[in-house]
Amino acid sequence: MRRCVTPPLAVCHECDLLQRLPPLSPGHAAHCARCGSVLLRLPRWGMDGELALTLTALILFLLANTFPFMALEIENNREATTLAGAAWALYQHDMPWLSAVVFFTSVAGPALVILSTLHVLIALRWRLDLPMVRTALHALGHLRPWGMIDVFMLGVLVAFVKLRDMAEVVLGPGLYAFAALLLVSAVTASYLEPKQLWNQLGYRQ
Amino acid sequence: MSLPRLAREAGLTGCPICGLVVRLTPHRENYCPRCHSHLHARKPHSILTTWALLLTAALLYIPANVLPIMTVVYFGSGQPDTILSGVVHLFENGMWPLGLIVFVASIVVPLLKLIILSYLLISVQRRTPHRRKRRTRLFRLTELIGRWSMVDVFVIALLTTLVQMGTVANVEPGAGASAFAAVVISTMFAAMSFDPRLIWEE
Repeated sequence: MRRCVTPPLAVCHECDLLQRLPPLSPGHAAHCARCGSVLLRLPRWGMDGELALTLTALILFLLANTFPFMALEIENNREATTLAGAAWALYQHDMPWLSAVVFFTSVAGPALVILSTLHVLIALRWRLDLPMVRTALHALGHLRPWGMIDVFMLGVLVAFVKLRDMAEVVLGPGLYAFAALLLVSAVTASYLEPKQLWNQLGYRQ
Repeated sequence: MSLPRLAREAGLTGCPICGLVVRLTPHRENYCPRCHSHLHARKPHSILTTWALLLTAALLYIPANVLPIMTVVYFGSGQPDTILSGVVHLFENGMWPLGLIVFVASIVVPLLKLIILSYLLISVQRRTPHRRKRRTRLFRLTELIGRWSMVDVFVIALLTTLVQMGTVANVEPGAGASAFAAVVISTMFAAMSFDPRLIWEE
């Protein structure tokens, strides 16, 4: 199914220029004629491709959260952690606020983004009247900047190099799943735009 | 057929959430007919809100840099580290690329964001007509780089989790880490509350 519904007019959200949208082919973006911001981007692979990518992201996310992520060995002492373990450790050290920030940006945020994307895509693909499709689409737009798996990955790299000097660092399967998740969600995010999903959803309740 | 340059001049606006072009009814609350978002020709109180959040971030920047972000205890001895001393340690131990990453993410980026957003706010308040395109690009840059400052917070969380070896080695997170996370979050909200369309206002 490859329906590309694009509206005839667009307003640039960065400079307020009113302009006509050119006909767009899948995978391409329309830029503002004056300031160059992205007005609209069409998905490259159509609905089935987006669904497949998002499902892959969900599976990788579950794997990344189930298996140990990293372990440290000092003199027969071994300390392993999962993804959520990083947030949990801060909570145990009397930093509930910071722990909540880390949990939201590394676990809850990405999970909600993946789940709401899946919910919206399923509703659109099979034209189902699922509950809360609009809520999910709103959530998707607001939550995206707060899912920070890419930044977390850089943090893992920094921590790895820092720890390598003082102990044996063992990388776990969770980390490989996480790295794959990073790739898949980068690809999905660059092609899946909430605005285009709204265009496809239309006015129906 | 030619279009008016600005949506505002035509009494229209683009919905910030779904992108639909909607006609605004004056002197009334307007909602998007498609996604039901509250509509405004410009983000309400954008300049004031952004200044308030920037000021918050600037104030929090002090404890974030003065208070220790973590303490590494190795065989009983350890010193609290601030953001800056952490970077210095990395450089001293010859970890140049890593030190550079942390230096840029934790020190340069937050400062740059504070400076750029202040500059944009002042230029908008003075209604400067110059370099509009460049200023819009600067704004896009601040939106893009802001989240990467969180890197240090994640590093602290990971070290706290992994380095719990009783008497051998321990990592304790410090109050500076919370202040630093608050700086990153308030600058992110500041960038979100700034309305770049103000740059283009005649």
